[in-house]
Amino acid sequence: MTAKEVLALMKQNLGSPWNESTYRDVFHAGNPDIEVKGIATTFMATLDLIQRAHAAGLNMVISHETTFWSDRDDTKDLTADAVYQFKTDYCLKNNMVVLRFHDHAHSHQPDFITMGVVRTLGWTPSQGPGPRTYTFPKTTLGEVAADLKKRMGTRAFRVVGDPKATVSTASVAFGYGMGRFAPGVELVMGGEQPEADSALDLSSYVRDAAYFGMNKSQIILGHNISEEPVMEDAANWLRTFVKDVPVQFVRSGEPYWSPRNG
Amino acid sequence: MQLNRRQFAGTAGAALIAARPLASQNTPLTVALAMDRIRQNIGVPWKEPTIDGIKTGDETASVKSVAVTAMATMDILAQAVRDKTNLIVSLEPVYFGHNDGPPPPNPQAAPGRGGGRGAGGIAPDDPVFLAKKDFIAKNGLAVIRLSDHWRMRTPDPFAGGLAQTMSWTKYRAGSDTRFDIPGTTIGALADSLANKLNVRAGIRVVGDPQTQVSRIGLLPGVSALAASVKLLPECDLIIAGETREWESVEYAQDAVAAGQKKGLIMLGRVVSEEPGMSLCADWLKMLLPEVPVRWLSSGDPYWRPA
Repeated sequence: MTAKEVLALMKQNLGSPWNESTYRDVFHAGNPDIEVKGIATTFMATLDLIQRAHAAGLNMVISHETTFWSDRDDTKDLTADAVYQFKTDYCLKNNMVVLRFHDHAHSHQPDFITMGVVRTLGWTPSQGPGPRTYTFPKTTLGEVAADLKKRMGTRAFRVVGDPKATVSTASVAFGYGMGRFAPGVELVMGGEQPEADSALDLSSYVRDAAYFGMNKSQIILGHNISEEPVMEDAANWLRTFVKDVPVQFVRSGEPYWSPRNG
Repeated sequence: MQLNRRQFAGTAGAALIAARPLASQNTPLTVALAMDRIRQNIGVPWKEPTIDGIKTGDETASVKSVAVTAMATMDILAQAVRDKTNLIVSLEPVYFGHNDGPPPPNPQAAPGRGGGRGAGGIAPDDPVFLAKKDFIAKNGLAVIRLSDHWRMRTPDPFAGGLAQTMSWTKYRAGSDTRFDIPGTTIGALADSLANKLNVRAGIRVVGDPQTQVSRIGLLPGVSALAASVKLLPECDLIIAGETREWESVEYAQDAVAAGQKKGLIMLGRVVSEEPGMSLCADWLKMLLPEVPVRWLSSGDPYWRPA
């Protein structure tokens, strides 16, 4: 089975129409005609991840995020870059191929993204006001943050607001997105977002709300932390129709460490 | 263009000296006059449309004292009131977004760059917005935003400010964003940055803490992939404000995995911009000699449990 044939099976089994004009969910490195020995699903096809997949005998990487550092994986200005050349050569020399699975991971029903993260959080979808809102027994922002750190193994997530603020309703977004303060929502969560000068700067908003003692909090998980579990669900889904080669979820992992908490 | 900017900077110096006699006259310095003086002396051609200008407050009020900061948060405004300061010059928005307030009725008419996905800006009846607006009105505060034009100045005041805070000015290596510092490790450098910039949880690092670095590139504020792809090959480590996880962060990770002894330190956007606003305060002291001017640190917005 070639990598192209794996993609054809994914299209057949998605359960909803494949958007053939996607610029994301296409091959971004390596030769799609190579024979697949094994598949690694992951959040991001970093060079480190590709090297680990290769060592594990998994020569097809199916990645939620980019290979060449921009949403369009636009490489025209990168051809002289040493890191670009190293990564490209590594894939070709080692028969590694990378397919992105982003838009259709979201269009799959149910949305893989939501399934994965909510399972890790142990929260029950709600009862709350609006989609992607979750309610849980009343606790504090400090407790929620400590629990998240433990469950998601993050070293570098970031919190804004009073640790003593009470929380029982959260609005959760993933990836490059942030929850919304719909009425009744005390906590917004997301993957990453601009810190300032965006359409709505929620970090400064929450900071000022805390000054006035208004009950609002924010947790920024990091893009990887917020979306990585999705690709475990994608691996489970792939195994239902890819029977001849191993399919494994391999974590690309949180990219950061931080010398400070506080 | 570079030459033109230098010429403008020279002209601005002359204008500054010319501004001094104004101080001895008995014309009170109003918020509007302060804004005019900034516009005339900024040292780069004034561009429209711009986000720079008086964002809130009475422009006819007499300026008693000026606070300069990276972001006019409530903590900064409260500090200003305690200091009997009524004009705040802020790099980042006072009202939670590019529009500095609720968006215009027709979203298509919104100026400039935009940013965050989805949300259209702060709602006109939002309780935090209304409370902040009320605090500003009751205390007679005014906020000038100075961002577009302060960023256009050369040499880059944000890189220069960061270098000054780290005592690296003497190590400048060619361009205004490159510094060759005495050899250190990524771990030691991250600690030193966190201490000198009073960072909490906002600092995040890509790379091995033991990696030796000395060639440093500075990208304070927000930066796109292209800036990292240009800068990282000629240095060991980039100190950035804010970059995207699927762009410069992955690029730095891949450079490390390719065997390069490199790294990336992200300070957070506001923290990375603070020293550049300290330089702005120094500049405003000369421009507004009749009133006290001081820099206030807005601080790191982020924490995490230990």
